[in-house]
Amino acid sequence: MELEAIIGLEIHVEMKTKSKMFSSGPVSFGDDPNTNVNIVDMAFPGTLPTVNKQAVINAIRVSHALNMKICDLVTFERKNYFYSDLPKGYQITQQFHPIGSDGYLTIKTSSGEKKIGIERLHMEEDTCKQLHSWDFSLLDYNRAGIPLIEIVSRPEMRSGEEAAKYVEKIRSIVTFLDVSDGKMEEGSLRCDVNISLREKGSNKFGTKVEIKNLNSLANIQKAIDFEISRQSIILEFGGQIEQETRRFDEGSKETVLMRVKNDAVDYKYFTDPNIAPIQLSKEFILDAIRTSPELAESKLLRYRELDLNEYDSSLLISDKDVSVYFDEGLKSGCSAKLLANWVIGDVQSYLNKEGISIKEFPVCSLELGKLISLVEKGDVSNKQARDVFAEMIKTHKDASTLIKEMGLSQVSDENALIGIIKEVIDVNPQSVVDYKAGKDRAIGFIVGQVMKKTQGKANPALANKLILEEISRR
Amino acid sequence: MGYMDKSLTYIHEAILKGEVTPLELVKEALLLAKEDTNNAFEYICEKEALDAVIKLDASKKNNLLYGIPVVIKDNFSTKDIPTTGSSNILNGYVPVFSSEVVTRLEKEGAIIIAKSTMDELAMGGSGTTGHLGVTYNPWDKDKKHQVGGSSCGSAAAVSAGIVPFALGSDTGDSVRKPASFAALVGLKPTWGRISRFGLFPFATSLDHVAYFTRNVYDSAYILNILAGRDDKDASSSFNKVEDYTANLSNSIKGKKIAVIKGIIDSISDKEVVKSFNVSLSYLKAQGAEVDVVDIDVKLLKAIYPTYIIISCAEATSNNANLDGIKFGNRIEGESFEEVMVKTRTNGFSPLIKRRFVIGSFSLLKENQDELFVRAQKCRRLIVNAFNRVFEKYDAIYCPAAPSIAPLVKGSSNNLSDEYLIADNYMAFANMGGYPSITLPLGFENNMPFGGNLTAKPFQESLLLNIAQAIENGTGLKDLVAKRN
Amino acid sequence: MKEVNKEVLVTSANKLMFDMSDEEYNNLLAEFDVIISQMNLIGDIEGVDEAIPMTFPFDVTNTYLREDVATPPMDRNEALRNAKDVVDGQIRLPRVVK
Repeated sequence: MELEAIIGLEIHVEMKTKSKMFSSGPVSFGDDPNTNVNIVDMAFPGTLPTVNKQAVINAIRVSHALNMKICDLVTFERKNYFYSDLPKGYQITQQFHPIGSDGYLTIKTSSGEKKIGIERLHMEEDTCKQLHSWDFSLLDYNRAGIPLIEIVSRPEMRSGEEAAKYVEKIRSIVTFLDVSDGKMEEGSLRCDVNISLREKGSNKFGTKVEIKNLNSLANIQKAIDFEISRQSIILEFGGQIEQETRRFDEGSKETVLMRVKNDAVDYKYFTDPNIAPIQLSKEFILDAIRTSPELAESKLLRYRELDLNEYDSSLLISDKDVSVYFDEGLKSGCSAKLLANWVIGDVQSYLNKEGISIKEFPVCSLELGKLISLVEKGDVSNKQARDVFAEMIKTHKDASTLIKEMGLSQVSDENALIGIIKEVIDVNPQSVVDYKAGKDRAIGFIVGQVMKKTQGKANPALANKLILEEISRR
Repeated sequence: MGYMDKSLTYIHEAILKGEVTPLELVKEALLLAKEDTNNAFEYICEKEALDAVIKLDASKKNNLLYGIPVVIKDNFSTKDIPTTGSSNILNGYVPVFSSEVVTRLEKEGAIIIAKSTMDELAMGGSGTTGHLGVTYNPWDKDKKHQVGGSSCGSAAAVSAGIVPFALGSDTGDSVRKPASFAALVGLKPTWGRISRFGLFPFATSLDHVAYFTRNVYDSAYILNILAGRDDKDASSSFNKVEDYTANLSNSIKGKKIAVIKGIIDSISDKEVVKSFNVSLSYLKAQGAEVDVVDIDVKLLKAIYPTYIIISCAEATSNNANLDGIKFGNRIEGESFEEVMVKTRTNGFSPLIKRRFVIGSFSLLKENQDELFVRAQKCRRLIVNAFNRVFEKYDAIYCPAAPSIAPLVKGSSNNLSDEYLIADNYMAFANMGGYPSITLPLGFENNMPFGGNLTAKPFQESLLLNIAQAIENGTGLKDLVAKRN
Repeated sequence: MKEVNKEVLVTSANKLMFDMSDEEYNNLLAEFDVIISQMNLIGDIEGVDEAIPMTFPFDVTNTYLREDVATPPMDRNEALRNAKDVVDGQIRLPRVVK
């Protein structure tokens, strides 16, 4: 019996808006517990939800990036259940009319490209955070009400690799669109996997198992691969798959049982009568899309047009902040290729060495671009530029200031150089004779003398050219 | 001489003339409140009120409510003043914020002297189910009659002459019914006309801020203060606010008024029907055209069950925040589930729990179609039927209740036409969001009863204009129950 | 539709996180008898099945969205002053078992 895995993903993305989904309470990560809480977030009686405009804009942008149909009438439902982390006793979500529906994205795996269908994208709100100790739990409402986007794929993935690629792509989209910081390990992008096995070619679905708590791309892949083999073994020995929720245990690299699912919970969904339907105008939707930050794919195309090779381009877009740094640097007008080399090379190795992110990198990219332009003009040599760069990191001073301070600027002034060249040639007439007799090396001697006189600051290319001209005149 | 049994305008004039000071008014109201024997109050804000009077900004003394004592139903959140919704589950809850309407009243210089009793969480119509017990009708010295609910304490406070105005809420008829039983003017404006921010929700799609005064002019004036868009309430309307006192004395000549036959037919009390008919003659005398109009009795009978299903369903969800964790009367347990179960089991009365189960059951996936969604569909048919009447008529006018206030220990036949229709039809105005006003019509055995007038959404000006014409005819205004 | 019996009602109540007495369940069963028969009558009203469910009293569609501007949060003590069990600026519950 040949089995195939049927995998669907539900991804929750925490938005980094300024205020919460339904209240003007601040969204902030890592602050002291209960210091970013508004009366709405704690569900005090009489408080009412108001819909965050930026959250809607974000949802439109992500829906568009995922090729979805966008619903122009925004409505919300209540999902009713009791839990310690749910302040209102219901969560406001979009059950009946998700803002995005019926889209797809294309992933690249080792076996080629594949289109993965996406069923729905909707907005909802986060619960409060629970801190568990051995005999009690503490509640922090800072997280309560933070806007979430939930993206539900169709069950169209077949392997751990596909699932990991899918999540990687979603993460790239939400981070490039500035919707979320997309950090799986910090819970701002959370992924639940539904997985079942069936005989290849069958159109029946097997019993579904849910895997929760997957906090990295690698773990998604490992958990799914483990789960496929676990279920395969059971089925091959004639066993039955239980409908259950499992989690991935990092130590053993196995999925372990959390709970067996009984009946599906009835959430008693109904339209939230607190929120009158909101009609989005065509202009509003188009504007949200038009002003949307650039996606990785589009940056990649643009970089290729700048003549960067595929490898460098994909390195630049592997991290949104790196690509933003690169784009900022381009504004200096420097060569894209040189800038890419610097960003991928010197900058990246400094970041790796220091263990910091590019956002914390002390040299602003516009200044780096200026330094590169000076190299291009021949004002400083490549080697000198590296010294300047090192100083820039240390002192935070700009490139031209440092070049002056370090006395590095090359003499590119033709008149000044010609004077020196004439002097050198005057005292070395033999070199001219030698050169004219065909001894090319003689020119090297003159260049060396010129460099000596200018303490190495003469622009070598320019000096070379002027020397030849001067010799030809003699 | 006391002022609390006078109209808002009278008291306002007295302040402007220097006959009385806000402090004297507040002291008078506080004294009367403390002497109350009808169980009208959850909490008397003596210290808070005296502090507020001192802080009054004298430059605002031209505001009609400047220095005037008012009472607030206990389901409006009031900052630093206990607010329980007359439910044990909220014993000890002291809100950190005030409702939008409370803020607006305070800005106008009103002084809150008390929070009033109500049916628990506004889910009742008798004024007998709050955690402090029965609230009595000030018109009945023997304390046998209800004052109606759920805004019982506010009705009792205004009709007993303790304050000239009190805030209530109206989900089915919770201001307009007690107004009928207490000889008051009770106005529920259009859904969305007044912000509900800070009002404890009962059934959001039916809840309205509403209030009691003793005459139509005061009612219109209060609306000028409370009406208007509030960004904190996504359901509040952007429609323009008018000066609702401006058209009160307009002629009603040619205005078309519909009387619903099925409602009148279901009333057995001849006195009520007689007085109602007399009031029709006042309307006709002033040039209004009055017609008797039919609405399918099946639909009229459907109003109450439709209301019950929708309101219970929304209520069970709206009150799910009451779990004792963030606020309220938490009772400890071994697990968080046990904390919730103990808190809610002890915090809610049996009546409330039964309503929650009814609501929750109606929302279950396999029941929704036959219960909750069917009720929402029927709501559409009911509202369509009334909208068809409003296509031809400016207002619908009927008795507000089939009788005077029932006895506290009375029992009603829940399946009789009178109960299903005349006793509960006013919820149609909540279903369609129509502005609706109750005003006194007459007395039977010294107990009052009223009429109810309803207009199209956002036609408060016209509604109040016609109400004023009725008041002019009956001469029944500024009525206060005699103290014993 | 689910059959209404005591067991179903007990489950419903427990899912709503409360208990009721036997007497109350009996009262509730009687109330359900009335409600269900009334709702069945409503089911017979002409046009009810075809009607569009009404969530709001009239068309209340608008275009308002709140600007994404954060307002100052509550003072923490104020936020927690109505909670009965507070430790280290957080509300305490018996350990929540996941």
